[in-house]
Amino acid sequence: MEAPLWSAVQAVLNGLLTGSLYALIGMGMALIFGVMRIVNFAHGAFLMLAMYATYELFDRLHINPYLGFLAAAALLFVIGFASYELLLRRIAERSDFMQILLTLGLSLIITDGVQLIFGADYRQVNIPLLDKNYHFGSHITLNAPWLLSFAITLVLAVGMFLFVMKTRFGRALRAIAQNRYAAALIGIDVQRTQAIAFGLGLAAVGVAGGLLLPVFYLYPGVGDQFTLKAFVIVVLGGMGSIEGAAIAGIVLGVVESLTSLYWGNEWALVVDFAIFLLVLSLRPSGLFGSQRV
Amino acid sequence: MTRHRALIAAGVVAACLMVPLVIHKDYQLSILFRIFLFAGLGLAWNLVGGYAGQLSLGHAAFFGIGAYGLSAFHDRLHLPVGLALVLGVLTAVGAAVLIGRVAFRLRGPYFALATIAFAEVLRLSAKNLQSITGGDVGIEVPGLFGGDPGRWFYWASVGFAALAFAITALITRARFGYSLLAIREDEDTALACGIDTTRTKLYALVISAALTALGGALWASLYLYIVPDQVLAIDISNEIAIVAMLGGAGTLLGPIVGAVLLETASELFKNVFKEAHLVIYGVLIVIVVLFMPEGIVGTVTERWRHRPKHGTKPGTKHETKP
Repeated sequence: MEAPLWSAVQAVLNGLLTGSLYALIGMGMALIFGVMRIVNFAHGAFLMLAMYATYELFDRLHINPYLGFLAAAALLFVIGFASYELLLRRIAERSDFMQILLTLGLSLIITDGVQLIFGADYRQVNIPLLDKNYHFGSHITLNAPWLLSFAITLVLAVGMFLFVMKTRFGRALRAIAQNRYAAALIGIDVQRTQAIAFGLGLAAVGVAGGLLLPVFYLYPGVGDQFTLKAFVIVVLGGMGSIEGAAIAGIVLGVVESLTSLYWGNEWALVVDFAIFLLVLSLRPSGLFGSQRV
Repeated sequence: MTRHRALIAAGVVAACLMVPLVIHKDYQLSILFRIFLFAGLGLAWNLVGGYAGQLSLGHAAFFGIGAYGLSAFHDRLHLPVGLALVLGVLTAVGAAVLIGRVAFRLRGPYFALATIAFAEVLRLSAKNLQSITGGDVGIEVPGLFGGDPGRWFYWASVGFAALAFAITALITRARFGYSLLAIREDEDTALACGIDTTRTKLYALVISAALTALGGALWASLYLYIVPDQVLAIDISNEIAIVAMLGGAGTLLGPIVGAVLLETASELFKNVFKEAHLVIYGVLIVIVVLFMPEGIVGTVTERWRHRPKHGTKPGTKHETKP
């Protein structure tokens, strides 16, 4: 009766590792929603874009994805800043109907645009690190790329949290989240701050994309599932709560991993959405955290 | 005036029904089928998304239930085709009641997310419950029409769009329609005015779901074979919503204009963009959101209403309402 217990422990550990990336993706969305009240339907499309950027760096310039992710994050920050200034800013005062529609349109353009340029082929990077496994005892095995991405994510997630909670800029973000009109009255440049926040939210996605690339197949539609997961995470964590999203991301990773172990992989997403609907109907303010950004 | 408009509408429908006398090619008829089908689906969505202002991005749930209802009741339980169709539509109505009960307690983006989640749960369950749906292998759909199916499907799509149009036209003139508009404008005020907002929204969703399921069954029966990733896909939900919002959410003619524009554009650019034809949808959406926030019909009627009373008339084409 020893083996099933170990496989459960293994599943939880795997879930933690995957969950850390979910957490990062969710934190990006929580930041955007908290500050701008925009539900970013293009979140996964931007993630996919970061993966292609990291892939191209690896493919053409032989830059290791574990460095390339930084470039992807920088690129995504610029794209996020620009899309806010050029597009989202113009509809900031409109209904969430229009904002959802605009990000949905962006997502279609990005996804199919990438498909047009790169084709629908599946791609993959091969780096030696992928075959490296660490064994703990005779039952637990952890894959090196996942451990590395976990470490990087942990540092960045803590950094992001401290940035929002401790810096002057972070305080401006939280002021806008509380009341944007009052924030403008006390001298915060609301539009500029929001543009930077959108850029930062996408930079988080950029990091996640770069780190996902080595452990995932890459194709234009790869981001769609992550948009849905990000929705689940921000709702679970309390819309707009960054630390809530972090916890929710990890919880989601573990729940998915355990579902796969006991019921089979094909039910993992069903459980995601079942939890999502339960939380939405029973406790719409989310399970973790009430602080909005 | 109303009778006058009803006559025009009847004339348009009659003219549409005669089209197969001129166009014989099945391929061209199939494009027209798509246009009328999505016009009807857009009109159905419009009841909830446009008039009641509840942004549903999960209408694929009803579309898929209609499609799977027809095939599963026929293929698995060996019921006659007509009965299977009706049972499929009724299942969609049941699902609408269930979804509405949960989702209508939520507002704004939360509602949209909940509808997506429901559709996704259905899609994933359909993939996994192979004994009922055939899973990813798919299931056969009975043909609704024998003889010359190309023509019959075309006529059916015209009839479907006309039905959705007639129902919408009747609702917009009824107390029910005004209640929906009140909810869209301000739900709390509507509640204060004595409108049972939850029930009103639920009725709208039920009618919308029944029509959408009918459209789904029609679509599935044309293709004779369905898989979950096709009929329960987010893409279907998005396309239905986009058709209506592009043309003008909350307008009677909007979904029709949207369907003509979107389906024609996707057909025209099919060869340029191949599988990446959704780029066109994306571009159209962004243009409409930025420059025509009320959709095409909404914005054009607005401009027409505010046209200079004397002097030069603007050259914009206006929509004549039947």
